[in-house]
Amino acid sequence: MAESTHDWGKHKKSYLIVFGALCFCTCLTLALGIFAPFDLGPPGPTPADFVIGLAVACFKASLVGLIFMHLNHERGLIYKLLVFTFLFSLGLMALTLFAGADPILEQYDTLESTKGKLMEKL
Amino acid sequence: MEIPHEVTPRRDTGLYNAKLGVWLFLASEVMLFGGLFSAYIFLRVGIQDGVDNPWPWGLNVHKDFVWLGFINTLVLIASSVGVVFAWVALKERNWKLYQVYMYAVIGCAVIFMCLKGIEYNSKLNHHFGIKLKDNSVMEGELVNKTDRIRFEGATASVSLQGAVPVFIKSIPKGEFPIFKVTEGPGSEEGVEIHSDSELKAWFHKERRAISAKLTEERKRYRAELASGVANPTPVSVSSSAKLTSSEPFVLNANPRKVVLHSDSVVNFKDGSKVEGKLISDDVEFIVHEVDLQLVLPQKQRESIVWDVINDEGAKQQFFEQQDAEYRHLREYYEPRGEVIPEKMLRGHILNLHDVHLGGHHGDDHGDDHHDAVHKSEPKPSAEGAHEEAAHEHEDDHSISVPRDQIKFMGNHGPRYGNYYAIYFTMTALHGLHVIGGALVLLFFTVFGKKLYLKNPEHLANRIEVGGLFWHFVDLIWIFLFPLMYLL
Repeated sequence: MAESTHDWGKHKKSYLIVFGALCFCTCLTLALGIFAPFDLGPPGPTPADFVIGLAVACFKASLVGLIFMHLNHERGLIYKLLVFTFLFSLGLMALTLFAGADPILEQYDTLESTKGKLMEKL
Repeated sequence: MEIPHEVTPRRDTGLYNAKLGVWLFLASEVMLFGGLFSAYIFLRVGIQDGVDNPWPWGLNVHKDFVWLGFINTLVLIASSVGVVFAWVALKERNWKLYQVYMYAVIGCAVIFMCLKGIEYNSKLNHHFGIKLKDNSVMEGELVNKTDRIRFEGATASVSLQGAVPVFIKSIPKGEFPIFKVTEGPGSEEGVEIHSDSELKAWFHKERRAISAKLTEERKRYRAELASGVANPTPVSVSSSAKLTSSEPFVLNANPRKVVLHSDSVVNFKDGSKVEGKLISDDVEFIVHEVDLQLVLPQKQRESIVWDVINDEGAKQQFFEQQDAEYRHLREYYEPRGEVIPEKMLRGHILNLHDVHLGGHHGDDHGDDHHDAVHKSEPKPSAEGAHEEAAHEHEDDHSISVPRDQIKFMGNHGPRYGNYYAIYFTMTALHGLHVIGGALVLLFFTVFGKKLYLKNPEHLANRIEVGGLFWHFVDLIWIFLFPLMYLL
């Protein structure tokens, strides 16, 4: 409440810059995904596309979080809360790793044997 | 009563209460969506090439959806900026400007949901796929709901227990015949039924009568037991009825409700049965693309999809495109001294292509169904040109797919594959969040004036909290867009 009008002008400017950055990043994601000249490596989605696509998404998400959601100047309590949230969500992602150890997937390993045959045709 | 810390921060937390509350809520939301993103990664990474249904990246229709998703991303980003500007307008005590920004935000939410609706509609009502017995897939459009089994019914046998017989739903609206009850458990034989509502009423009445009879029978049985009869007559109440139509009636049976059908009878899953004559159970289909990602490369030329399509030109077109793509891949990998990876050989780039029916070889239609596959040399072009004129709208060419060749068919709804299941789960949940958030913001836009006049800072705090939720919704979409459309 004590903040002056000048202060709000600065806020607005930073919001507009973030808006521009988000739009630019969205176009970048699209370009990586569909336009061949920007496509990294061989055609189609490749690991490089995944890493860059998700890195751009993370960058956009952190812009939204830091600037729009004011996490760049927030109280300590919220950071503590979010650290736990972050750790738990990492745990959620890691859950899928356990699936690799599931014996139910073993039956699919037999399919590996068909791989050699594929190369012959083309 | 004054609620403390709505405007001023609490000393111990340093926050006003609503802000702490919404952050706790958002933390729980992160868990909710985190679990679903985890499921997405599991499905995406776990695809067995050539075994599981592939992600739809190569489909032409999907490429249109990418643009819709892209526009939606921009719309949501714009709305997020709108919310922070509305908040700043409140801080500057500018009510008019605040309202303008808020209505813009709600407008963005409406645009977002409309585009989403267009995409859902197109997936659910326009695009259809048929997977044949050898896992080859045809993508395109269904003609006139011909996934239904078209049947001409004469009599229907129903059980008067359980739910209303499902065959009623297979009779087209306005074509309900006059049924006569020819066999039934009660005294109602000879009753005439003129509409589905009458049939339902009759069914419910009969069902009540049967259940009453059953109660009586049980009473009798218990009484006989109690009076010491050695072998009491078992409880038995007939609950089947037969309806005969005066004239043959049309039945378009949903194959998902049918257990079995033959030339003379359709058996529904609930036990009801319609006898009559099969008109046709072929699926009329307009093919746009052929997808052989699930067929081994060495078996692709003999795939049954080419028998079904029965168009040598289309087949040739497919393999020409495949060869061209294969050359591109070799040009990429060979100079690097690498072999083309397995993923590429089984992926959509090589194995999913457009086909145009009735192109060069329209004259193959109808004749020697099985020989068509082996004729690979092109016909003289003069003959082809004549045929081309006859089939100017080649996209409208529909083919008949025999039902016994079909392994699975459906619209691009959640049943169509893992991608569609997770796509609909996540985008629908996200859509609900958009609707919820927009309603909250709309409330503060329309009814916020009183609070604004009383304590503008209080309203600003509410908008900040509502805005936090809205930014979170935007944030989820930022991840959904690349995952659901591009990667």
